[in-house]
Amino acid sequence: MSDLWKLTYSQIKKGLNAGEFTPTELANSLVSRIEAEDSKIKAFLKFEKDNILKSAAESTERRKAGKALSEFDGIPIGIKDNICIEGTVTSCASKILENYHSPFHATAVEKLLAKGFVLIPRANMDEFAMGSSTENSAYQITKNPFDTSRIPGGSSGGSAAAVAASFVPVALGSDTGGSVRQPASLCGIYGLKPSYGTVSRYGLVAYASSLDQIGPLSKDIDGVVDVYSIISGKDPKDATSKNLPAFEASKAKPLELQGLRIGKMKISSEIEPDVAKAYESLLSELESKGAKLVDLDFSLLSNSIPIYYIIATAECSSNLSRFDGIRFGARKDPSGKLEDLYVASRSEGFGKEVQRRILLGTFSLSAGYYDAYYGRAQKARTLIKKEYEGYFSKVDLILQPTSPTTAFKVGEKTSDPIQMYKADILTTSVNLAGVPAMSIPIGTDSKGLPIGLQVTAPSLQEEKIFGFAKSISDWSSKVKLPEKIQ
Amino acid sequence: MNLNEESLQKIAELSRLKIDPKDIQAFLSDFNKVLNYVDTITELDVSSVSDEDLYPNEGNTLRVDQAKEGLNRSQIESFAPSFQNGYFVVPKVIET
Repeated sequence: MSDLWKLTYSQIKKGLNAGEFTPTELANSLVSRIEAEDSKIKAFLKFEKDNILKSAAESTERRKAGKALSEFDGIPIGIKDNICIEGTVTSCASKILENYHSPFHATAVEKLLAKGFVLIPRANMDEFAMGSSTENSAYQITKNPFDTSRIPGGSSGGSAAAVAASFVPVALGSDTGGSVRQPASLCGIYGLKPSYGTVSRYGLVAYASSLDQIGPLSKDIDGVVDVYSIISGKDPKDATSKNLPAFEASKAKPLELQGLRIGKMKISSEIEPDVAKAYESLLSELESKGAKLVDLDFSLLSNSIPIYYIIATAECSSNLSRFDGIRFGARKDPSGKLEDLYVASRSEGFGKEVQRRILLGTFSLSAGYYDAYYGRAQKARTLIKKEYEGYFSKVDLILQPTSPTTAFKVGEKTSDPIQMYKADILTTSVNLAGVPAMSIPIGTDSKGLPIGLQVTAPSLQEEKIFGFAKSISDWSSKVKLPEKIQ
Repeated sequence: MNLNEESLQKIAELSRLKIDPKDIQAFLSDFNKVLNYVDTITELDVSSVSDEDLYPNEGNTLRVDQAKEGLNRSQIESFAPSFQNGYFVVPKVIET
């Protein structure tokens, strides 16, 4: 049973419940895989093997005694390093929080533990979830399991790479402008950004509160559906959480393609030819099965990245003001004066990209520029929301490539912030509008690198996305996750 | 628009950040690249968006006003940089 790591999420769930293997056997297989291969991928920051095996042993005991907490008891799940686990360091891949032991569980974590999941922290990420390549971590650069000279995408690159490298069958990431979908796309797996307000943000370290949402990544669609059904639902600890019950996994049934109205985009020069080809082939296939394709004008959405950066950085400047060296994290106290303590702790604790975003946010919120930048961006965001409402009066789902390119080389875009920001060109508008979207693997390019399809639905209609993913599962099964990491 | 070094330093001061003098030109160049990129929104016509659109009255979500157990001192001590006798220790702020 040493190759249990090869199993998909669904096979793992089935095997555990049929008693074909125990949570301990499964955890041992995954831990061995991580120990053997993660030096090439660097998906995880500190890896607490003993805690993982202890949780798995507890789950094994529960199952033996016929007291499993749920059908998920013993399933391992990777956790991004900005989601709080009590007693565990939650550093957000930042030096400023290198010693921060969370005193509480995030609500999503609490819900997973109640079902018996075995937590596998701490998946690497771009510092404070700011980045599109997982090159902005203060500790290490995560590599893409399909080609270790390339990035896995970001900011949830550790979570996505861990799933794609078969270290875990499912993982949690967070998505502020595409940070679950874009790495899912570049790593050949599924990744969901849920409707805003359906998953509690309590215990997710805030970057841009009006955009952030925790989302699952998995080798197969059922992993995303199950985890979303567990972590969704009203949380009194999060005032922005919608007053709705958790999603029911049984609602995710294959969607009838005949008559389905699909919004499609015009291919621009920013989309790589192989990505465009995979996208257009899928559209033709859908049309041949009776789907109705509708051309949508996405020209307003081309402003999404500037709008996103104004709003996200303004919220980041405000949210990250709490990191002042007084209550948590690292403290630098060069002169014994309070002001110097703040400045030194923040300047040494935050990396360059985080500092750049704090500065941009402070600028757009400053008295002379507020109306021209932040105020205007808020109005423009409303236009984006209305634009989506207009689209969804004509179509059931919108399909786009998730990322304009496949995984790029490590270091290729680090010197140019604009090029890096453009990696999220097709994903940011979804967060501005608060609607749900998922990346589905649909093929590979000529180099064997994965291509993802972004499926967007109206707010709170995740079941349509899941149903669509199930209907095109033949396409997704074309993408084989690498067994050998090179 | 482009920010000059002095304005960038002012924003850094407001952000409680200090930019290393040897990095200032590179930082300024990157910052201005980003600023010019996001500047395109100043040309967007947003006149159709009203204040009602911007701040829809969805009501507030309020918790019941009820005392609850908070974090205990040992939990705070586990993450605080400097904590003594139940208090966060900060540098002296009152001159005597």
